[in-house]
Amino acid sequence: MSRAPVQTRTETRPAIVSPYGTIGPFFPFAFVDDANDLTEFEGRKAMGQHIWLAGTVVEEGNVPTGNTLLELWQPDTNGIFRHPLDPRHADADPGFFGFGRARTDRQGFYRFRTVLPGQSREPDGTIRTAHANLTILAIGLTRRLVTTIFFSDQPETADDPVLRCVPQSARPRLFARKDNALAASGLPGYRFDVVLRGAGETPFFVD
Amino acid sequence: MLIHFETEASPGVRQYLPYDDRTQTLRQIKDYPRSFTRVPAQPLIDRPLTLSELTGPTEIERRLPTGNADFSCLVPGGPRALGQFMTVAGRITDEDGAPLAGALIEIWQANASGKYIHEYDSHQAPLDPNFIGQGRFLTDAEGGYQFRTIKPGGYPVGSNDWWWRPPHIHFSIFGMSWMDRFITQIFFPGEPLNEADLLLNGIPDPEARQRVMFEPLPTKVTKTLNILEFRRDFVLRGKSKTPELL
Ligand SMILES: [Fe+3]
Repeated sequence: MSRAPVQTRTETRPAIVSPYGTIGPFFPFAFVDDANDLTEFEGRKAMGQHIWLAGTVVEEGNVPTGNTLLELWQPDTNGIFRHPLDPRHADADPGFFGFGRARTDRQGFYRFRTVLPGQSREPDGTIRTAHANLTILAIGLTRRLVTTIFFSDQPETADDPVLRCVPQSARPRLFARKDNALAASGLPGYRFDVVLRGAGETPFFVD
Repeated sequence: MLIHFETEASPGVRQYLPYDDRTQTLRQIKDYPRSFTRVPAQPLIDRPLTLSELTGPTEIERRLPTGNADFSCLVPGGPRALGQFMTVAGRITDEDGAPLAGALIEIWQANASGKYIHEYDSHQAPLDPNFIGQGRFLTDAEGGYQFRTIKPGGYPVGSNDWWWRPPHIHFSIFGMSWMDRFITQIFFPGEPLNEADLLLNGIPDPEARQRVMFEPLPTKVTKTLNILEFRRDFVLRGKSKTPELL
């Protein structure tokens, strides 16, 4: 295969990064179905507390947002990312991959089966409050939305580098709460509702 | 804004700048349904990148299995889907021009009549029994990829057909981390519908807009096959740390 020319980079105009596009309405269900269970990987069960992580996505006017794609990326029960950048990755749980997908139904409801993440450790020793990363893609969004889910019954570390950037008043919206109505099959449920726009809007990060 | 994240304990950390809005699709496009009820009203919050964002799924094909990259028929040698047979080839690099090997690509597209296999597609057009139009494959060691398919048809949006989308193929790409997870759609040059498409023209910069167009290669006429060939390279966000930026 011929090599494409390397993009010229200048002070003012670096390489043009390919323009992001909307996922549109027709992302195949086959790409999502069965991808929302993170508690098993290649025949092994994940270690740690298995949970349901679920909620609704709504847009302005509290209208349910159906047909969105949600992607989750998180560390395992010990807070280890299955990735070579994590200094502890050799000890990552072989039964936990860390990535999953779910979609919202017509009522805006989504559900992941996953593991309560542990506190991750930055290479400089900073301990991060237990969290999972969430990406939202939908019609109407020409770029993805990224946010972070924390868990209300888990200990907060001092000065989490991401949480501290969020205005105090908006921080509670980044916490999933234990919700008995979501518990099923013996697993506890955590509710994380997303407001794309409007009153109670979920904080999203620069991407 | 530059995002710094490096320590001696983590060599190989990459640098990700926020997407440059000048090269991207507008966040809100006039008349584009739902962009004014879904795009957050509050400003996006700046935060440092931690391991959580700088890592991402590796060997994603172990979770999202790949298949063969010939979408022009259901089984090799089987009946071909209706429509113009075509091939796409290209290369995925980062902002340094370094190839992204083993990147997972997902594509999905309408059939030649502009119909998707999807529960929510209400377009009154037939499905093609020989066409699925969705699948996954990986880039090679040079970041190269290729697939065969048939050219998709345009399709109407909304119940009163007020907007016809020009033919396009959707791409979803898993790069090296959570930061270069990428989704877009690629258009065909010369399509009259391109001129009025809200999404294509939602990229204000003409040079950037070219980056979501297939580039036609000269048509090859061989003894057996008249092949329509296209090329599309992608530059995903991210670069190796370079001294002048440290
Ligand atoms: Fe489409």
